[in-house]
Amino acid sequence: MRNVKWLKSVIVAIILLLPLTALARGIDPLVSTDWLQKNLGNAKVVIVDVRKVEDYKAGHIPGAVNVFYGSWAIKKGDLLNELPPIDDLADVIGSAGIGKDSLVVIVGKTDKVPDQFDMTRVAWTLKYLGVPNVAILNGGQNQWVKENKPLSQDMVKAKAKSFKASITDKLYVDKAYVLDKLGKATIIDTRAPAFYEGKEKLAFVPKLGRIKGAVNLPVGQLYTPEGLYKDKAALAALAGKAAGNDLNKELLLYCDTGKTCTSWAFIMTEMLGYKDVKVYDGSSMEWLADPSAPAEP
Amino acid sequence: MYKGYVVDHDLLKKDQHFILACTQCHQGNDKVLKKEEAHKDLIKRPSDNMANCVMCHKTVTEKYTKSLHYTSAGQRNGVMPRFSKEDLKKFDEKVFEKSCRSCHASCGDCHVKSPAVSGISTGLISGHKFVKKNEGKTCSSCHGGRVYPEYTGEYGGEPDVHYQKGMLCVDCHKKMEFHGDGKAYSSKNMVKDRPSCNNCHKPGSEKNPAAKTSHQTHTGKVTCYGCHSSGEYRQCYSCHSATGSKAKPGFILGLNPRDKKTLTTLRLIPTKKSTFYKAGIKMENFDALPNYWDSAVHNIKKRTDRTRSCDSCHVAKAGFLNKEMVIKEGGSTANEGLIYNIKPIKK
Repeated sequence: MRNVKWLKSVIVAIILLLPLTALARGIDPLVSTDWLQKNLGNAKVVIVDVRKVEDYKAGHIPGAVNVFYGSWAIKKGDLLNELPPIDDLADVIGSAGIGKDSLVVIVGKTDKVPDQFDMTRVAWTLKYLGVPNVAILNGGQNQWVKENKPLSQDMVKAKAKSFKASITDKLYVDKAYVLDKLGKATIIDTRAPAFYEGKEKLAFVPKLGRIKGAVNLPVGQLYTPEGLYKDKAALAALAGKAAGNDLNKELLLYCDTGKTCTSWAFIMTEMLGYKDVKVYDGSSMEWLADPSAPAEP
Repeated sequence: MYKGYVVDHDLLKKDQHFILACTQCHQGNDKVLKKEEAHKDLIKRPSDNMANCVMCHKTVTEKYTKSLHYTSAGQRNGVMPRFSKEDLKKFDEKVFEKSCRSCHASCGDCHVKSPAVSGISTGLISGHKFVKKNEGKTCSSCHGGRVYPEYTGEYGGEPDVHYQKGMLCVDCHKKMEFHGDGKAYSSKNMVKDRPSCNNCHKPGSEKNPAAKTSHQTHTGKVTCYGCHSSGEYRQCYSCHSATGSKAKPGFILGLNPRDKKTLTTLRLIPTKKSTFYKAGIKMENFDALPNYWDSAVHNIKKRTDRTRSCDSCHVAKAGFLNKEMVIKEGGSTANEGLIYNIKPIKK
């Protein structure tokens, strides 16, 4: 009973402190369609539409530049969703008109839950390259269209900027790093429970199972049935249950390819105030292909 | 009911094609209400008969009937040097007309309904609207095995830099290439005014001195693709044998079979001597052509392994066609003529 009381107090304290974390940024990590509509003329705001060129040309948020998701994450060897070379990424960012002081809003489609993660992987990658003020449009393009907000078919050509990457150390980590942290950091498997429990796997993942000692925080829990993010209190409670409430504890998040886990990584860091969150880019595709990498069950 | 076929009133008002009655193109009977009677003698693909389009679009339709998209002549003429007169006659009757020609595009395939590939079509492009272009639903269907997914990165590599910049097919391939210029060409290589990198990227305009030097050094020796293809693209194996097709990524550099002196990206065309045996075609001149052909790969990047390091080609010889790599079983003896032994750089 005493423990429950203590846990409740900690959660309440976290929720009360949440606005302070938001104030540290130039933009809220999740922006609403209304906010974006009001800020369409804001010169500091760069709207980045990560959908396919064909979809973008069919209709996009006025002023949004198109930088297709495939520019941000590529296949390397057998691994999906890996980082392109940094100089290529810097070109992509600069040619989209993004500077380090830009307020970037990422827009993607949200037809299905997995679509959400294009946006968060791009947001995490921008943070990695030194762009701090990145936001996700809550509900993405679908929400904008659903609310009958204006659309444009003009091809927006951004005013290119020279962008020099400043890598934010360790937002993406490799297998050796995770191996070294086994038993020390909290490892969070963000896949659905059946995948975490070793009952199911995707075809391209070499075998069933999870990283030894990992806890489960499924990405499906982030969203409402309408495809919007749940409110802060609900997200804080979910995260706290899996990751604990020590905001300074090192957390290593992974999934199948290093893409979907960026959703919790982004929310935990940018909204909930966790200070040491890293994404294991190789994720299950790499870990479970290595017989010497400790796995369970 | 498939809603895509419903032509609403708004569309009828906007698109002047609907001045015509449905029956003018589709035939059938619009005076009766029963589906079976109304659909009697219905023509599903009216533009297979060019007479329907030529009534209003005379110039472009007449040109189009001579274009390679319509005649598919490139497929016939490309393989022709392997045939005797007797072989060619059989090929025309039993293979070209029955198989290759089924790929020809009608007006409607690009402007109304996505073309069916292997019997599957994604349906009307935009209701029944007559669209000017929609590359993602038209070009991508017929060229969806190799070119389009390579271009968008969906085949597994990196998207082409031009796609990243928002460019689609028609931004480089001009209208004339689709509709033709009124001449009946035997191959796409005969067509003038095809896209060329130099049209936009003028030699000598490079801002980076290293790039300028590199371009000057390799001019006339290596195609742009040779250095700027980002890496692996789709190679097909066994498509033309009875064992079933296999596709896997590969990056192959070798001499262009059309000039035998320029290094370029090659794609395997896996025809065997036995490919048309069922049609009675012997292909006694099979070795007249190689199995590897120059390919304008659509996965261009500014920086690649080859632009980053001269050693990628001059030391590691990465991707270079060699004797061990050429297809063994049933391959043409002409393949080895495309092997280029690159030398280390003299320092």
